[in-house]
Amino acid sequence: MAFIKTHSAQSISEDERKQPRNCENLEAELDNPNPTTRRWAARDLVDCPKASVALVSHLEQEEDVSVREVILTSLTTLGDEVAVAGLVNCLSSEGVALRNEAIEAMKQLPDEVAPIMRKLLADANPDVRIFAVNILESLRHPDVEAWLIEVIENDPHLNVCATAVDLLGEVGSFAAKEPLLRLKARYFEEPYIQFAADLALKIINED
Amino acid sequence: MPASSISELDFEKFREFFYRKTGIQFEPSKRYFVDKRLEERIELTGSETFRSYFTMLRFEASGEELQHLTNLMTVNETYFFREEYQFQCLVNSLLPDIVQRKKDGNPIRIWAIPSSSGEEPYSIAIYLLEYWAGINNWDIEIISSDIDTQILGQARKGRYSARSVQHLPENVLRKYFTRVADEYQICEDLREAVEFTRVNLAEPADTRPYRNFDVIFCRNLLIYFDDVSRKAAAETFYDALKPGGFICLGHSESMSRISSLYKVRKFPEAIVYQKPLEAR
Amino acid sequence: MKRILIVDDAATVRMYHRNILETAGYAVEEAVNGIEALEKSLQQSFDLFVVDINMPKLDGYGFLRELRSQDVAQAPAIMVSTEAESNDHIRAYAAGANVYMVKPVKPDQLLINVKLLIGEACL
Ligand SMILES: C[S@@+](CC[C@H](N)C(=O)[O-])C[C@H]1O[C@@H](n2cnc3c(N)ncnc32)[C@H](O)[C@@H]1O
Repeated sequence: MAFIKTHSAQSISEDERKQPRNCENLEAELDNPNPTTRRWAARDLVDCPKASVALVSHLEQEEDVSVREVILTSLTTLGDEVAVAGLVNCLSSEGVALRNEAIEAMKQLPDEVAPIMRKLLADANPDVRIFAVNILESLRHPDVEAWLIEVIENDPHLNVCATAVDLLGEVGSFAAKEPLLRLKARYFEEPYIQFAADLALKIINED
Repeated sequence: MPASSISELDFEKFREFFYRKTGIQFEPSKRYFVDKRLEERIELTGSETFRSYFTMLRFEASGEELQHLTNLMTVNETYFFREEYQFQCLVNSLLPDIVQRKKDGNPIRIWAIPSSSGEEPYSIAIYLLEYWAGINNWDIEIISSDIDTQILGQARKGRYSARSVQHLPENVLRKYFTRVADEYQICEDLREAVEFTRVNLAEPADTRPYRNFDVIFCRNLLIYFDDVSRKAAAETFYDALKPGGFICLGHSESMSRISSLYKVRKFPEAIVYQKPLEAR
Repeated sequence: MKRILIVDDAATVRMYHRNILETAGYAVEEAVNGIEALEKSLQQSFDLFVVDINMPKLDGYGFLRELRSQDVAQAPAIMVSTEAESNDHIRAYAAGANVYMVKPVKPDQLLINVKLLIGEACL
């Protein structure tokens, strides 16, 4: 038989673990040319209370998606104001991948994102507003329905409304009924809005 | 202790704490399961109240009580040749692929986490011996880990119930086990073939030393994790794998909902995820 | 029956597309992101893909690129996107899409494109 064992736990664990990993070193390692080192730095920085600043500023310039993912996981775990602000900035980034990654991270931080929700829903860029509605999906906040109703009543952009209707089907109550009917009337030539609004109305009526 | 002594708020606080430590998230519907085990530990440690127990749990430097509690809270259900198609995939597809690419003579390394009581890593060893000719030419290293120290003890011992071995073919059972009363003792050679270690997958300090694996099995653990911990686990495995290394998940766990870092590879027996060959 | 895979992270959109396509007599499968779509494409064969661009994990571009480069399927693909950004359609074609449509799509327009691509229409 050719099964072997490494000489017990020691050889599994001999590595840089012995080096002191202080926060300053870790932040510097975010610029290391080796992606493995950068991933480990990003991972270990969750234990540094002020790490969000360094992580956020590194995020936009990081080319390796595997490092970006670890940075986003750490930012999600940290979940402080700086982290959230950094994620919000990514929403208007040119990189589709980074944008989607940021949305996913923000979905994990509903309570932290809630205070800035209004601002996001009023952003001049309709894409950001669509993302904001996407994030609402995971928000357990008493105002979610009210926000969605406001969107379908007032947002001038068809796709922002369409995204909001999707969600109203899930969280909508009786209060959403009239606004949904008005939306249907406003977009009477838009089959998708008719379909989605009818679906939402059906679910609401069943409750 | 009366059941009512753990309040809703206590439960919430404990849930959050335990999640942070282990990545395991209990749904509110698990309240009864959690309360019962907490109460058991509160009584056994002679704590006055949930509060005093919880304080000890959090601040005890040795982490001993947390380990006791973790051992109680984990679901260890497992058996030999569970989801056998993946072992077939290992010997018929993954290992040939790995060997073909391999440029050095170093051992092929396999990590099975979580091990639970050892049925999975031992199944892998049995499969290699029975169904992989390459075993004559290559050194193989199997390391298997779990967070639960009590279950690791069981795994090292290798004593199994009839139920646990019921899916093993008769000849395999006869070849590698001896019957002891109504139980089955796995043979010494197989016990020697697997190295068992304690690892909390949610703890980077634990997983950091685990590197350069060709194949990782992580089956029926991520289902107990929440989204962020799952994603973090996938990222941990990324650093534990060699470029081109494979990861096999349980049949109800799909990487498509967890992480985008891996390539989807289809083999005749199963879908497996691969760290890109060009990854660093 | 021709088989179509709808790839979109929004449940209502998948339902809407499914509704249109099933009514027209196609068999429909769904996936919630590019990776899941890739998994399904590796296990089953499809005659056409209707793919959203913006999705978590693996977006529409990435999915099509993987599909074509791994030579999983060469069946035609319609890309749909909520953004009418100027270069979206160029990127879609570069990734291997055959048709690019802006969301929300109109049922008859979707069907015309589907029929053309599957080779059931003679225009
Ligand atoms: C259901 S068993 C799976 C056993 C085997 N892999 C199988 O599929 O049959 C789940 C195991 O995960 C272990 N576990 C739970 N949380 C863990 C963690 N954070 N790190 C490592 N192991 C963990 C438990 O102790 C338990 O033994």
